[in-house]
Amino acid sequence: MHKVFRLFSSTALALLLSFAVQAATPTLVIYTYDSFTSEWGPGPLVKAAFEAQCACNLELVGLEDGVSMLNRLKLEGSNSRADLLLGIDTSLTAEARASGLFAPHRLTMKKSSLPEPWQDDLFLPYDYGYFAFVYNKERLGSPPSSLRQLVEDEQGPSILVQDPRTSTPGLGLLLWVKKVFGDESDQAWARLSKRIVTVSKGWSEAYGLFLKGEADMVLSYTTSPAYHLIAEQDARFAAARFSEGHYQQIEVAGMVRSSQQQQLARDFLEFMLSDNFQSIIPTTNWMYPATLARSELPAGFEQLIEPSPALLLDEQLVASKRKAWVEDWLEVMSQ
Amino acid sequence: MSGLNSRAIAAGLVLAVLALIVLAPMAGLLNLSGIPGYEPGDLRFWQSAYIRRVLFFSFWQALLSTLCSVLPAILVARAFALLPDFPLRGLLLRLFALPLVVPAVVAVMGVVSVYGSGGWIPLGRSLYGLNGILLAHVFFNLPLAVRLLLPQWQTIPQHHWQLGEQLGMNAWQRWRFLEWPAVREALPGVLLLVFMLCLTSFAVVLTLGGGPKSTTLEVAIYQSLRFDFDPAQAVVLALLQLSICTLVAILTLKLQRLPEVEITLTSDLKPVTIRQNSLNIMLILVAGVFVGMPLLSMLIDAFAGPLWQVIGNTTLWQSIGNTLFIGLSAAVFSVGAGWFLLQYSASLSLTGKTGKARLLDLAGSIVYVVPPLVIGSGMFVLLSPHVDVFAWVYPIVITINALMGLPFVIRSLGPALRQNHARYHYLCQSLSLQGWNRFRYLEWPLLRRPLGLAAALATALAMGDLGVIALFGTPHTATLPLLIYQQLGAYMIPQATVTALLLLLLSLTVFWGLERVIGGKADA
Amino acid sequence: MLEIDRLEFGYANGKAPTMQFNLSVEAGEIMSLIGPSGSGKSTLLNLIAGFLAPRAGQILLDGIPIGTECVTSRPVSIVFQQHNLFPHLDLYTNVALGIDPSLHLNREQTAAVSEALDQLGLSDLQRRKPGELSGGQRQRVALARVLVRKRKILLLDEAFAALGPALRAELIGLVRNLVRDNNMLALLVSHQPRDALLASARTAFICAGKVIALEKTGDLLDHSQLPEVRDYLGSI
Repeated sequence: MHKVFRLFSSTALALLLSFAVQAATPTLVIYTYDSFTSEWGPGPLVKAAFEAQCACNLELVGLEDGVSMLNRLKLEGSNSRADLLLGIDTSLTAEARASGLFAPHRLTMKKSSLPEPWQDDLFLPYDYGYFAFVYNKERLGSPPSSLRQLVEDEQGPSILVQDPRTSTPGLGLLLWVKKVFGDESDQAWARLSKRIVTVSKGWSEAYGLFLKGEADMVLSYTTSPAYHLIAEQDARFAAARFSEGHYQQIEVAGMVRSSQQQQLARDFLEFMLSDNFQSIIPTTNWMYPATLARSELPAGFEQLIEPSPALLLDEQLVASKRKAWVEDWLEVMSQ
Repeated sequence: MSGLNSRAIAAGLVLAVLALIVLAPMAGLLNLSGIPGYEPGDLRFWQSAYIRRVLFFSFWQALLSTLCSVLPAILVARAFALLPDFPLRGLLLRLFALPLVVPAVVAVMGVVSVYGSGGWIPLGRSLYGLNGILLAHVFFNLPLAVRLLLPQWQTIPQHHWQLGEQLGMNAWQRWRFLEWPAVREALPGVLLLVFMLCLTSFAVVLTLGGGPKSTTLEVAIYQSLRFDFDPAQAVVLALLQLSICTLVAILTLKLQRLPEVEITLTSDLKPVTIRQNSLNIMLILVAGVFVGMPLLSMLIDAFAGPLWQVIGNTTLWQSIGNTLFIGLSAAVFSVGAGWFLLQYSASLSLTGKTGKARLLDLAGSIVYVVPPLVIGSGMFVLLSPHVDVFAWVYPIVITINALMGLPFVIRSLGPALRQNHARYHYLCQSLSLQGWNRFRYLEWPLLRRPLGLAAALATALAMGDLGVIALFGTPHTATLPLLIYQQLGAYMIPQATVTALLLLLLSLTVFWGLERVIGGKADA
Repeated sequence: MLEIDRLEFGYANGKAPTMQFNLSVEAGEIMSLIGPSGSGKSTLLNLIAGFLAPRAGQILLDGIPIGTECVTSRPVSIVFQQHNLFPHLDLYTNVALGIDPSLHLNREQTAAVSEALDQLGLSDLQRRKPGELSGGQRQRVALARVLVRKRKILLLDEAFAALGPALRAELIGLVRNLVRDNNMLALLVSHQPRDALLASARTAFICAGKVIALEKTGDLLDHSQLPEVRDYLGSI
């Protein structure tokens, strides 16, 4: 009986102490997406690096993706535990802004490798990428050199794309086509659909099918070949460079207005723009860090295509027209 | 009479909990005027042409898939039943438990490995369309249907087989007089279950469907809730889906004949050996190959991958632990809830109130079609003002998974429990054999096997779940399916295939273990 | 006359000792088979019916071997203790199955079914299902089916065990009429010596797979010198 009591009381004491310690150090809660928090993503390294300098506890909550994050925040409203949201992209920023849930960061970007200067009082970018069609060099000798060529060439390569209703790359392609073809987008899709093997739910399915050899090209990012090159020593993959330019995906973070840790959150955003954080990004998130120059990237990244121009539609336009554009797309694709 | 009352109370409690879990979140989602940036959409959208098309396609692909899965399953189950000494029979039946466990995205890869352009039976681009959807659905559901229908042959008394032989019945007459009445009892339930599975099948339809022509109601709900952030619309669509399913359920359950058993004193249910029939052997082999091929391809892919790297990872083992915990806990609740519902349903049918009994079955089954996304989001809305939702992840995930497992429990445990009740209830009453004693001496020994199957199914399902766990941001915990999904999303496809293999092996072990421990040694 | 000539049977695992049966039954006779459980009474019936295959020996009916025939062609009808009827079919159909499992009956056959039901007092119940009947009524239906089949040999495997004494007596009476009117012969397995007394002039005692006594019923039950018989009768 004594033994049990001693065990119990020492355990209780330990627990109490740990709670006390926890209570003493502040906790910063960041909502982000799953692949960020996974052990091979940036999460663990970011956590270690930030906690080393902040005397705090960093809690990364992995939600499915950018859309889920924002929706979660909306559903929770001011009751949310989140101090920061990290991982929504520019197709969602208008909505996020409209929700009124974010606070101004009052920071400036000292350096930026983005194609255009960044102007946004609520959100700061941490990485970005370009959508591109990735292919296997051994299978496809001469990829199309423009989006128009891909669309119009009847004998062109077979492609795998994602559904804009359920996936951000899918939406990205929709916006890309819209940017390039404008009013002729519907016809473009009609012609393109003949070469689409399937429209998958998300990026994973499409990429997986591509690696299985189900199609010649898959919609992914210009940085995808870097993964195969660096992590797998596989040089067979490349992205096709389109002359009209590639649509951008810029991922941002924002402070939650109802956060109890505003200063700490701001500290994190500063940290996010610093080299400490940025250098983690390339080989964990496989995107371009927002502030590092190309020369500061790991070996292998120089082999990636550099799209130009970098395309982007105005966020308010996207927010107001998205639903209608998706419906048009549905109409065309359901023929 | 007190027996009936306590059953009624237990069943009532279960129903109340079910209703709460399903309806409260939906109500929560409908009542969202306080959400910033939320503009209610036009609720009459459901009359639009788009939704009509979606409805039609959802229904059509589910119907076709169900027929293509269940009708052959009857023949295959029959083949298994008539060949009790077939070598590898046990192994094949274990194999048939696997497709249920595999996360949809992994299964899709498996199907593509076999039937895609680079596969063993290349179908090329015609795979992506209704063909692909049917193939994948049959892969998922035929084995399940076989396992749910097979026990019915055990309910045919040996004397019937003997009489059939003596009276000179041919195979068709044997089917008509002996087998069909036994099968008919479980068939409507199985049809309904498979229909629901196909109706709510998301990743398969979207990825193998080839394009937006293959949009189901689940996709529309997903779209409403996530991209459009229109919870009201999502709820309305979810209710629409629920109503369709209820209609289908009412129709199929009407066809279900509850057993008209002779009240007997003994039960001689020894299996009957019929002469070897080459057609039946062929059927079993074809079914085995059809189900085995995608699984085999997953195995091959996995062995080509970084096996040791994945196994050596501590996160993997943590995930295994979490997966087991969630799976088994959910199963406990599923089986418990199913047990109480079925007990009351059996009492009702014994006293002639078959209509009510059917309604009860229906209630337990139909909850499956309410999308977990809707329930999950609704729970968020209800709970987050009051509690730290992240601390409640496990209870919520376990509860929703228990809900999802309930129809499987009802299908696998139902027929045997009803028969058992019909046979022995009066006897028990005359002996005042109730409660724990009744369970211990009568129900446990006689219902062990279907209980084992029910527990195994519920566990396997919860272990393979991706949809529910993905909704709830878990800071520290991952499950195997979530791990697979994370790996897939991070270019780590070879690792994902290895993890998928591990999930399969784990599920196989747990399935076998549960069937053995609960169900006892298999004798046929 | 039915002759069972050195009919041998052993289970495949070879553990139980081989059974060997020898007996003969006259036309118009009902022979009772009694003995301890597991002694092989039902096995013998299954061998005669063809559900089991013997290792050696013959089954002869009026000198003609029937042991090589398939189950369907044997001149045998069997009534079990239960599960004789198909619960989802009405009585009429259950009996009609005895004539032709395809249920395509000509006028004569239809009349035969009605008559059989009539004879057994079941006419007004013919559209009912077995579930609605009592145990005794169900066994009657089974007997009606036996009647329409017109096979020479009738096997009763504890057919009346689940019924009370009065019903048993009644049904045994029916069986006696059946056997007499149709020139059949019957083997009745039972645990009740009483049944043997009512039904049979001769009774066989089967123990450990062998017929160790075959005598007049009264003699066997009251005056047998064999220890096995006395043990058995003493124990029941």
